[in-house]
Amino acid sequence: MSILLTEETRAIVQGATGRIGQVQVRWMLEYGTNIVAGVTPGQGGAVVHGVPVYDNVAEAVEKEGADATVLFVPAPYTKDAVLEAIAAGIRLVVAVPEHVPVHDAMAMRRAAREAGVWLLGPNTPGIISPGIGKLGIMPGNMFKPGRIGIISRSGTLAYEVAGYVNEAGYGESTLLGIGGDPVIGPDIPDILAAFEKDPGTDAVVLVGEIGGSAEEEAAPFIARMQKPVVAYIAGRSAPPGRRMGHAGAIIRAGQGTVQDKTRALSAAGAAVATAIAEVPRLLGQRLQGRTKAR
Amino acid sequence: MRLLEYQGKEILRRHGVATPQGRLARTPAEAREAAAELGPVVVKVQIPSGGRGKAGGIRPAADPVQAGERASELLGSTIKGFPVETVLVEEKVALREELYLGLTIDNRRGAAVLMFCASGGMDIEEVAQSHPESVYKLELPAGAELKDYEARQLIRKAGFQGKTLVRLAQVAAQLYQCFSRYDLVVAEINPLGILADGQVVAADCKMEVDDNSLFRHPEFGSEKDELQDPLEREAREIGVTYIKLDGDIGIIASGAGLGMNTMDLILAAGHRPANFLETGGGITRELMRRAVQLVARHEGVRGLIVNLYGGVNPLVAAAEGVVDGVSALPVRLPVVVKALGNQQGEAHAVLESAGIPVVKSIRTEDAVAELVRQLEGQSA
Repeated sequence: MSILLTEETRAIVQGATGRIGQVQVRWMLEYGTNIVAGVTPGQGGAVVHGVPVYDNVAEAVEKEGADATVLFVPAPYTKDAVLEAIAAGIRLVVAVPEHVPVHDAMAMRRAAREAGVWLLGPNTPGIISPGIGKLGIMPGNMFKPGRIGIISRSGTLAYEVAGYVNEAGYGESTLLGIGGDPVIGPDIPDILAAFEKDPGTDAVVLVGEIGGSAEEEAAPFIARMQKPVVAYIAGRSAPPGRRMGHAGAIIRAGQGTVQDKTRALSAAGAAVATAIAEVPRLLGQRLQGRTKAR
Repeated sequence: MRLLEYQGKEILRRHGVATPQGRLARTPAEAREAAAELGPVVVKVQIPSGGRGKAGGIRPAADPVQAGERASELLGSTIKGFPVETVLVEEKVALREELYLGLTIDNRRGAAVLMFCASGGMDIEEVAQSHPESVYKLELPAGAELKDYEARQLIRKAGFQGKTLVRLAQVAAQLYQCFSRYDLVVAEINPLGILADGQVVAADCKMEVDDNSLFRHPEFGSEKDELQDPLEREAREIGVTYIKLDGDIGIIASGAGLGMNTMDLILAAGHRPANFLETGGGITRELMRRAVQLVARHEGVRGLIVNLYGGVNPLVAAAEGVVDGVSALPVRLPVVVKALGNQQGEAHAVLESAGIPVVKSIRTEDAVAELVRQLEGQSA
């Protein structure tokens, strides 16, 4: 089983005719993803690796029954593409582009929440449900079907964690990136709730990093979860104070260090690894403890 | 990109906010002329940093001669690490009250936050820490308008009324217009001054434009103009993120999280990162060649670790770029590459045939251990 991306998902690719879009369409198809259409304004009628391309999302929804989208459009056009997808009734939007202006990200986030749409990103590697498909740029060979859910702010770090989880014989139900930018679509508790409900997921690994307070704010939800959560926070050695503005410091004072996040997550009952190598062992402990408790 | 004070004030004036009269000066003569027009002035260095007053970069001058002297002391000096190329010569205004007005983004909520505090001036951060209840806040969701009455409600909470209340609320609305119009991530007026006659002026301001939005604000030029470190400037030219640190191991990673984790593991292995270059998703052979050379040029670098995932990045091109970069280094440095993902087999072959050690495990700590082995072998 999986969350958000399932066997029924019918996905489109916005920006399918671009240089990156074409390559990624091929890789997603090779991975077995159900890509039903591409969309590039002005390129309607084109075909990319056998996939029909439309001029707009509404047409792709109408003709192909699309309900999910993954975007490979340049950052300046990302906001428009996301708003178009939401307006056309798409339910899952995966915004891969990096360098999207933060005011645009704010507008995207607001529109998605008002419409009840899942928006991953911007600056997300995407979502992969091994054995079902992937919407995004993750290298497919790094993942195995299994029963661990992985949520990450960082794409590359998620791949690394998945590697350790797989080495230990687990595998993933779904792995997804929420986005590495300051303002992103999803809140971690919403994703945790989806994993909590998913019968195909036994435990969740939360991969965080310094900065912001998303992990701390997820703690109260983790405290209420039945399924075990293992967390790892990167950035122990990062220099403090970079990119922190004066006005920003007023609302963020004293938040965002590895220590803060570890404290909040541990207090909520998550097992916090001090190195990625510890993640499989902590998973093992928590999964075993659960079995015994029942 | 942080705007200079005079740029921020130009924007404020364009949106109807009053500021003290001022002239920009590049020479002492220009400063003298400005003071001759303005009367008693304050000479303020224009650098992209706060804390200028405490660092001696803001100095009063009673007459044109003094203004020229202050300017000649400040121009060409270095304050807070920034060379002073221009000063703002501004009429000296007597403020009856100093307030704080600011806008920033609450990342978690994805909304702008307007902040107002009746005690402004230099130590607003300390006030916010010690008396958070004295900072009044209003959340503004994306695309929202700030209505005058909302601004009045906020400022009333801080105890203002009458004409002053209306004037302050108007400035808040004007500042929010600037914030939205110019893709600002920080907009502060501190102090926001009230004059003896009750007029409101922006005595100082700080504005920071979202770097990712500069494509739609060509009037601000390029953010690399403000970068002092030549390696940081070069990084910007190539389109990568570069952070200078003070250790001995150079790091290149294809993502921020992976890079941070690599730093953590290097530290755990008893070494210290010299720097950290994150390529993001735009790797080409040429970018990688330059990235290797850039990271190695940092003084004190004794070894390099390259940690890549090929998802959107073409690993073979990355590997070729690493080979190009390493073979063009002036001195041989221990180098370890870990590269996994799409095309990993071909990428490993490229590196190995050039004699560059490749770690094929998923574990970054294995790559760090290999680099440490090489460093120790070298010093033995």
